[in-house]
Amino acid sequence: MGNHGTQKPAEQEEAGGRRRVLTFLSAFGLIGSAVLSAFSNFVFIKPRATYGQPSRFHVGKPDDFPSGTKLALEDRRICLVRDGDQFAAVSTTCTHLGCIVSPSDTGYSCPCHGSRYDQDGNVTGGPAPKPLAWYKVSLAPNGELEVDKDQEIKPGTYFNV
Amino acid sequence: MSEPTAVVKKPKTFDRLRVLPQEIWSSIFRHPLPDSDLGRSQTSFTNFFLHIHPVKVDRHTLKPWFTMGLGLMSFFLFVILIVTGILLMFYYVPSTQQAYDRMLDLRGSVAFGTFLRNMHRWGAHLMVAVVFLHMCRVFLTGSYKKPREFNWVLGVVLFLLTLFSSFTGYLLPWDQLAFWAITVGASIAGYAPVVGKEMQFLLLGDTAVGQEALLRFYVLHIAVLPAVMMLLVMVHFWRIRKDGGLSRPEPEAAVAVAQEVPKPKKFGLQGLVRGQVLNAGSSTENSVYSWPNLFIAELFVFVFTLAVILILAMFFDAPLEEPVNMTHPPNPAKAPWYFLGLQELVSYSAFWGGVGIPGLMVVGLLIAPYIDRGRKGVGKWFARERLLANTLFVSFAILNVILVIIGTFFRGPNWEFVSPW
Repeated sequence: MGNHGTQKPAEQEEAGGRRRVLTFLSAFGLIGSAVLSAFSNFVFIKPRATYGQPSRFHVGKPDDFPSGTKLALEDRRICLVRDGDQFAAVSTTCTHLGCIVSPSDTGYSCPCHGSRYDQDGNVTGGPAPKPLAWYKVSLAPNGELEVDKDQEIKPGTYFNV
Repeated sequence: MSEPTAVVKKPKTFDRLRVLPQEIWSSIFRHPLPDSDLGRSQTSFTNFFLHIHPVKVDRHTLKPWFTMGLGLMSFFLFVILIVTGILLMFYYVPSTQQAYDRMLDLRGSVAFGTFLRNMHRWGAHLMVAVVFLHMCRVFLTGSYKKPREFNWVLGVVLFLLTLFSSFTGYLLPWDQLAFWAITVGASIAGYAPVVGKEMQFLLLGDTAVGQEALLRFYVLHIAVLPAVMMLLVMVHFWRIRKDGGLSRPEPEAAVAVAQEVPKPKKFGLQGLVRGQVLNAGSSTENSVYSWPNLFIAELFVFVFTLAVILILAMFFDAPLEEPVNMTHPPNPAKAPWYFLGLQELVSYSAFWGGVGIPGLMVVGLLIAPYIDRGRKGVGKWFARERLLANTLFVSFAILNVILVIIGTFFRGPNWEFVSPW
């Protein structure tokens, strides 16, 4: 700083340019590190494994459920439906704000904000934005029905035993 | 110490002991209680806890009906909440197995347990209300205008943090009310565009409210949010001083007078840094010493706030519902009262009610001082010059209050309309 006066104009300009580049690089490094550390904090607080319930589970043998069953498995948050030889697992988590819907005569109804669904889970009233999810049902090797909540299927798609 | 004069009598041990208390006292408090203007000025300069105050304060600032002490009340409630909160932490465990039992223990076997929980709960409710009223006061007196616009922004952020603190605290008792209110609230967050689902997952640490959510809410409630709020409160207070104290109406001839003031000589660093200071409208005859005028007023607000909380905690017990039953939501499942306006909106449309309209409201509040740039009517309640802005704000506030009242009293099972009578 102090010896600026003794430098030739060209040298001075060169020094100024160098200083700008170094300033830019340091700023880039500092801001980059800040962004990276913010990002790693974000990665840290996002859990890789959760401690909640498994999303794939067995519910029992097909014969445990007579035809016409509409049984809400409350802990699993699904309703198991049997119609003839057809099985389906309908979510009982309201698509509006996550309350638990209960099976009613006409389908399902939610106690929190009054959403109503028909037998297939289509919205018939209230603020719910989309129909109840249907999950994939399959037969496990041990002969029990297996529901996979990670796999949503098209509503109305039954599993034939 | 003293000049070596003819005969210096060596002080005796007893004399030394006799003045010891006085020495200790004067090492802590540099000055005796002030009885002169110099002493009154020194209070704000030499006492750490008082140095946040100005030496002199405008008479207008001290008028009880101008501020109604609402900002201070919010701060004192914050302090009461921190103290009672820390005490409650001695007995609370953020575990789904234990949390509810700890609530029962607090009620059954901890000395003053119920009382402290009551203080904490009513303090939290009151703080939400008082911070909102403080915001109304600042708007309706036009105090958010330049140069106070950024302090208004900080205030809006503090209001949101107050709501979020209250919301995170709501889950901790792990009763039915807590569980379903948070289930509903977190689902509302899930409706935010693009980042909604991700945000909900981060907040809950799982796909549904459970142990992870309880732990996360606990950490947010006792560490993250209070720390951020403390920092912002400090900046909020600091800026009041740096923005020229509380707003006050400019006297008629203030501008003309200000221009006639000769350019002050800049002595020392402060003069250089702050430049020319024109305290138009706060002339000597309009201001009084902070000691005792301001400090008495603050003490009164503190005692009043504490008294209200103590009386509430004495006569009304904080609710505790059934322990969590994840399979049976109560009917109707209601959020805390200050979110019932939101829940009412959400019952019409989840996106618009939960994210769209509240988001627009917050953005509107944040940018209000940058849009409304008129300089008239500052420092007066309901100034005629600000009729449009005040009308808009009052409509907005009343709309919110009406929504909260509908959600609280007029909604029954299945969120159907019921009459409270």
